[in-house]
Amino acid sequence: MGIEPDRIHYSWISSAESTKFVEVVKEVTEKVKALGPNQHFAKHEAKVA
Amino acid sequence: MSEWEPKIVSFLCNWCSYGAADLAGVSRMQYPSNIRVIRIPCTGRMSPKFALAALREGADGVWVSG
Amino acid sequence: MITFKLNGKKVQGEEGQYILQVAEKYGVDIPTLCHHKALEPAGMCRLCTVELFDGRRSRFVTACNYPIWEGMEITTDSESVHAGRKLIVELLLAKCPDVPMLKKLAEQYGIDKPRFKTEGDDCILCGLCVRMCERMGNSAISLTGRGVEMKVDTPYHLQSDVCMACGACASVCPTGHITLEKINEQITSRQDVKPIPSEYDMGLKGRKPVYVPYPQAVPNTPVIDRDVCVHFKTGGCKVCTEFCGVDAIDHSMEDEIVELEVGSIILAPGFEPFDPSKFDTYNYANHPNVITSMEMERVLSASGPTEGHLVRPSDHKEPKKIAWFQCVGSRDLNRCDNSYCSSVCCMYAIKEAVIAKEHAGDDLECTIFYMDMRTHGKDFERFYDKAKEIGVRFIRSRVHTIDPVVGSDDLAVRYVTEAGELQNETFDQIVLSIGLQTNPETVALAEKLGIELTEGNFCKTETFEPVETSQKGIYVCGAFQGPKDIPQSVIDASAAAASAGAALSTARNTRTLTPEVVPETNVFGERPRIGVFVCRCGINIAGVVDVPAVRDYAATLPYVEYFSDNLYSCSQDTQETMSQIIKQHNLNRVVVAACTPKTHEPLFQETLINAGLNKYLFEMCNIRNQDSWVHKNNPDLATEKAKDLVRMAVSKVALMQPLEEAELQVHQTAMVIGGGIAGMSAAVTLAQQGYETHIVEKGDALGGQALNLYKTIAGEDVQEKLSGLIDEINQNEKVQVHLNTELKNVEGFVGNFKSTLAADGGESELEHGVAVVATGGSALKPQEYHYGEDPRILTSLELDRKFMDKDPGLKELNSAVFIQCVGSRDQDRPYCSRVCCTHSIDNALELKKTQPEINVYILYRDIRTYGEREYIYREAREKGIIFIRYSLEDKPVVDLSGGNITITVTDHVLGRPLEIATDLVTLASAVVPNKDEALANFFKVPLNDDGFFVEKHAKLGPSEFATDGVFLCGLAHYPKPIDESVVQGRAAASRAVTLLARETIHTSGTVAETVPMNCSSCAVCISVCPYSAPSFIEEGPFTGKAQINPVLCKGCGLCVASCRSGAIKLKGFDNDQIFAQIYAMNEAV
Repeated sequence: MGIEPDRIHYSWISSAESTKFVEVVKEVTEKVKALGPNQHFAKHEAKVA
Repeated sequence: MSEWEPKIVSFLCNWCSYGAADLAGVSRMQYPSNIRVIRIPCTGRMSPKFALAALREGADGVWVSG
Repeated sequence: MITFKLNGKKVQGEEGQYILQVAEKYGVDIPTLCHHKALEPAGMCRLCTVELFDGRRSRFVTACNYPIWEGMEITTDSESVHAGRKLIVELLLAKCPDVPMLKKLAEQYGIDKPRFKTEGDDCILCGLCVRMCERMGNSAISLTGRGVEMKVDTPYHLQSDVCMACGACASVCPTGHITLEKINEQITSRQDVKPIPSEYDMGLKGRKPVYVPYPQAVPNTPVIDRDVCVHFKTGGCKVCTEFCGVDAIDHSMEDEIVELEVGSIILAPGFEPFDPSKFDTYNYANHPNVITSMEMERVLSASGPTEGHLVRPSDHKEPKKIAWFQCVGSRDLNRCDNSYCSSVCCMYAIKEAVIAKEHAGDDLECTIFYMDMRTHGKDFERFYDKAKEIGVRFIRSRVHTIDPVVGSDDLAVRYVTEAGELQNETFDQIVLSIGLQTNPETVALAEKLGIELTEGNFCKTETFEPVETSQKGIYVCGAFQGPKDIPQSVIDASAAAASAGAALSTARNTRTLTPEVVPETNVFGERPRIGVFVCRCGINIAGVVDVPAVRDYAATLPYVEYFSDNLYSCSQDTQETMSQIIKQHNLNRVVVAACTPKTHEPLFQETLINAGLNKYLFEMCNIRNQDSWVHKNNPDLATEKAKDLVRMAVSKVALMQPLEEAELQVHQTAMVIGGGIAGMSAAVTLAQQGYETHIVEKGDALGGQALNLYKTIAGEDVQEKLSGLIDEINQNEKVQVHLNTELKNVEGFVGNFKSTLAADGGESELEHGVAVVATGGSALKPQEYHYGEDPRILTSLELDRKFMDKDPGLKELNSAVFIQCVGSRDQDRPYCSRVCCTHSIDNALELKKTQPEINVYILYRDIRTYGEREYIYREAREKGIIFIRYSLEDKPVVDLSGGNITITVTDHVLGRPLEIATDLVTLASAVVPNKDEALANFFKVPLNDDGFFVEKHAKLGPSEFATDGVFLCGLAHYPKPIDESVVQGRAAASRAVTLLARETIHTSGTVAETVPMNCSSCAVCISVCPYSAPSFIEEGPFTGKAQINPVLCKGCGLCVASCRSGAIKLKGFDNDQIFAQIYAMNEAV
């Protein structure tokens, strides 16, 4: 469907692993940031309007 | 805007990652503020439709965590 | 009834009422300076002037004292009224040009400067003070003189003994003409008039004679302090009754003596903070900037006198350097009688220092002067480490004198460093870490009850009966049992409740009153009316997130009918206010933006229930744990995130529907995992309460680690006591012991667990309603100090074994060395094992007793004989046991060459290496948990990094898990001595009984439900559900379609996501609701 794989992340963190949680948040944020804005799949407001 | 910041929708399991996120708060760990959490009862509840809807609605990323 | 016109509108009032009273009732604002609801009107200030039309002509009257009459027409806001008032304000301002209140009023009326000659007065002669004094029953002051000479004064301008210095005149004075100082200097002949100190704010703030003792008081009702209330002195006043809308105040109430028939008594009188005034050298009584730690708590509190703003008392300057002095009123026989350790002060001082730095910023210098740093509680050592990391300075020195610095408000101290150098240092403020002591009234009570006390005036208890007093049927918990912190007090409390309840278990529910159930309002089909409450959580949220902005933003969202912010949403008074608001505004959906739903959702749902709303018409958004706390440095982004989360929650809650909960039976059986002291104590307690209990023990005997212990510090023989407990278990019909048994699997959930037990190659199933985890711990096998290479190098438990075996070799010893913190408080195990200091000192004393000529050395880092354990530390020093401190970076070295043991350690006094030749080395090895990951998975309960189980709440839920129906005690929770294990075993059982005793519980309403019409009978849901909740309907119109058993359903949503026909809905987390959140996320702000 043309979605970059790095846009969707999946992880498994236990409720005690706050450190891992923070690591994953940082990692996900960085990877998504590296891809740039999601333009391909998002509905385009302009066309709708 | 100085730098573009992505908006990431995260679907967190109430029992696992949501708890971890709470604990991270209790421990005052600091992390980027890009994520918007949707609490789900379990990752079993997660449907691909949610991820697609989030991206279609303009989210820049989706993170599902159990 | 009198009918007249007010600003053209018909209004009604009672015969004898004045215009102002009626106007107030109709919400028409008339300004006034001399009116007071409780006093007769006097028409002094003329500001309330209004226009009266009597049918023929207009004139001006004062609204406060003009009685109403039928047919009159009043205008309160005409052009001429306004002009008249403007003139009055101008005249008043000319008389009192510097009164802020008048300046503000003048500004409102557009007066820049009065045209008249100004006088520099500050009294407008409103007479409120005189009338109020009369009402007080005193009439100490009056308006004297005439015309321009008129003023408020006492007779003959002398200080009067009629004046009681109640301050009522000052409290009503609108201009600030009368102040407390003025009463002191000019009015009363009494000495030293001060505001009534607020007990809650440690006297840092005043309070009124009518007051709520503290914001979270239960019940949250004001009380009248009879000792200071004027009514009880003169018979006058009663002003409060005029303001109470519900006539709740009755000054004639008397104290009542109520007789209660009870089966047991629990003593929880707590402690009183030590009063340091008697230490002259600390200047606490004389210098405002020497404060106690209790005062510091209030200063740091968001609800405190400075709203959490850190300022020192003398000049309200922000301090740059603060010092804490430890052990003030503790561990001190020279200057006071408290030779015990107060247990909690080290930790609270560190906490205060860290919070002070959080409030005031990193450049605040915090220094703690201490003797031994005692952070022996769970996760406390880590906090200590963290404090050092963020720059809190720790100086091991006991300072004896605080000198005020002449010419400033600062304080100078002289202290000796560890290296022996004398230092001078100046601080802006000094906090005395005061200890805990038993109130003399409590001592008197104990005497009356015939209860034995300890040397330190705490309640005497035995190690194996830690909550029983010396009187049968009387139990104790909290700091009266010994100085202790919150978790330990909470554990005590649960245990005392269990012990007190055990004797009464047959009487359970015989005098139960059922609370009134608020009928649920049917909101079905109503348009959503959402209330949004944004919590400040003191400064926890409001310190980062712009709460008013989030609140105002919420107001713009669809269907939001009510919005507000609360200081603490979870406090009882706020809860009551919220439920009233819900009723008043007919709200049918509620959003609370606060902490986490995982801890607080049930509380707010209770509020909804009390307001007659179904508890599922609620959504919480997490703007603390997942916002303000984790984005501290980005207030703007955190505020944006909070707004997003509120928007998402509002759009979800609009779609919420009322849900029903299924009722579930609680299996009246308990399973205890682990047969040590804690597990056995839990089992005995459960059995005493009448519940069948199964102990599952891996090993071949009951007793656990206690089997290795010789005696307690009180001298009790552990083995004797232990076999008593084991006998009790074996003889108790309600307890079944499964030895050599492993837990293979656990299914089910709270109230209905099904566990598989494996023993002797066979497997059996046990059904139980609750589970207690008491899996214990063990002593670390040391990896250092040549352990295992020489029989003369032992662990503490191995030495205990020698004592138990009466090893003759112990009598032959010339020298013995104990090394503390072996495997504790290091990088691998950054926690304190809590028991080892006491254990080693006790064993050292035992060696001395066995062989008085022996030289005993204890090599330690900090001695942590908390509470009354401190006495044995004192005794050890008196008996000549030598204590040598070492540091983690410079550990002692054990040398075995030549068949002799030589230990080299750097002496902390001399600063030089010291060699000790010895015959025995005892290593105080760490307590390590039996880290059981399988068990953690069975019950879905977390383990921390050290392998201890993580309780529900560190302070308030220490003996239970966040998972319902699973409880925790003993070493599995944290290292602890026998008495604390017994207490926690009972506490865990006590918590379990609260569940068992209910017999039925309600399952969640957030379960899956099928729409049989859409079901294609594919059976995917039946195959994916881990709880076997779905099945096929067997009869009726939908035979063959799927249905879901709401009792078994855990609401995970697996079936919902896998249903290809879309025939399953998950109530509370349905597609619509989740999509609503997703859509809301992207809406433009």
